[in-house]
Amino acid sequence: MHLPDGFVSPQLSLPAFAVAAPLWAWAVRRHFGREATESLPVIGSLTALAFVIQTIMIPVPGGTSTHLVGVMLLALLYGPLVAFVCESLVLLVQALFFGAGGVTVLGVNALAMGLVGPVAGWLVWKALRHASEKAALFLAGWVATQAATLAVAGVLALQHRLDPGYFPVPIGVTVAAMALPSLAVAGVVEGLYTVFALSLLRKANLRGIDA
Amino acid sequence: MKTRSLATAALLGLAAAFGVPAGPARAHETLHEIVRSNAISVRVFESDGAVLADVAWEAWSPADPRNPWQRGRTDRKGWLAFVPDAPGRWRVRVIEETGHGLELFVEAGAAVTAPAPAAASPSPGAAFVLRPLAGLAAIGGVFAALFLLYRRRRPGP
Repeated sequence: MHLPDGFVSPQLSLPAFAVAAPLWAWAVRRHFGREATESLPVIGSLTALAFVIQTIMIPVPGGTSTHLVGVMLLALLYGPLVAFVCESLVLLVQALFFGAGGVTVLGVNALAMGLVGPVAGWLVWKALRHASEKAALFLAGWVATQAATLAVAGVLALQHRLDPGYFPVPIGVTVAAMALPSLAVAGVVEGLYTVFALSLLRKANLRGIDA
Repeated sequence: MKTRSLATAALLGLAAAFGVPAGPARAHETLHEIVRSNAISVRVFESDGAVLADVAWEAWSPADPRNPWQRGRTDRKGWLAFVPDAPGRWRVRVIEETGHGLELFVEAGAAVTAPAPAAASPSPGAAFVLRPLAGLAAIGGVFAALFLLYRRRRPGP
C-alpha cells in the first residue's frame, strides 16, 4: 500500500512532511511521556506485530497481492495519535532496512496509513460500539483499510494530475488495482484480525490496557 | 503486577518474532539485481524471490533527465534491459499499477563493460529472515530504550 521514493513529487511530499511533523511532535509529547511507561511494553509489542504483518503479503487472484496494516489495534486501545506515531516508526524502519516505501514519502505514507486509516476506523468504532462491539471492531478494521487505500490512491491521482512523469499510470487503472484487493481481501482480514487480537488482549488483562 | 505485565508483553514480542518466517508468506518489498554487459539488465523481484513480471518500467538518461529514454514492461522472469548511450547515472523506475515499485540509479560508463561481481546479487532466502529480524530489533530497541529511560528517571518514594 505504501508508496516508494520517486513516485511523489516534492509538491506533495513536502506539504505532507509539513503536516506530519507537528503532529508527530504533539503526539509524542502527549502520549509517550513518563506517564506512558507502563503501556510502553504493550505498545512496543503491538508495533512490532504491525511491522511483521505488514511484511506478509496476501496473494490476490490476478497476480497481485495485498497486506494488512495492523495499527488499528493501537488506535482502539490508546487513540489514533499513538497509532500514527507507531505506524510512522514502522514505515521508517521499512524504508531504512527494507527499501520498502521511502524516506522522502514518509510523510505521505504516515498520514495515509497511520492517521487517515486509524482515525476513520476509530470514528466508526466510537459510533457503533454500543450497538454491537464485535461488529464495530470488524468495521473499524475494514473502514481503516479502505480509508488508507483511498488516501494513497488520492495522492497518486493528484500526482498523476500534477505531473504524470512521477506516476504515469492513469488513476482509473490504479484505483481498480488497489480497490479490489482492499475491499475484498485486506479489509476483511484486517477486520477479523482486529476483532480477534483485541479479544485476546482483553482476556489477557494486561497492565497498560484500559479498553 | 509489573512482572505479569512484562511477561505478557514479552509473549506478544515472541508472537511477533514467530510471525516472521511464517510459511508461504511473502515480504512486501521490491528488490533487484543488476547485470552489466554492453546492456544493463535489471531483474526485479520480491524478497522471497517472486519476480515482478509484466510490470511497467522507465529508464532515464543522465543526458536528458526530463524525458524517459526508454519505456517497457518486464518480461516473465522479471527482467528489463536497455543499452545506455551516455555515461553517467541512469535512473530506472519500476512502477506497479498498485503504486508499488522501486526507483534505482545505475552507473553506466566504464562499469558497463565490466561484469558486476556475483556478490552484488542479494540472497532472497537469507534476507527473508534476517531483515525482518533487524527491523524487529530496531523497533524493540526504541521502545525498550524509552521504557528503561523512564524507569531509571522515576523519582524514588
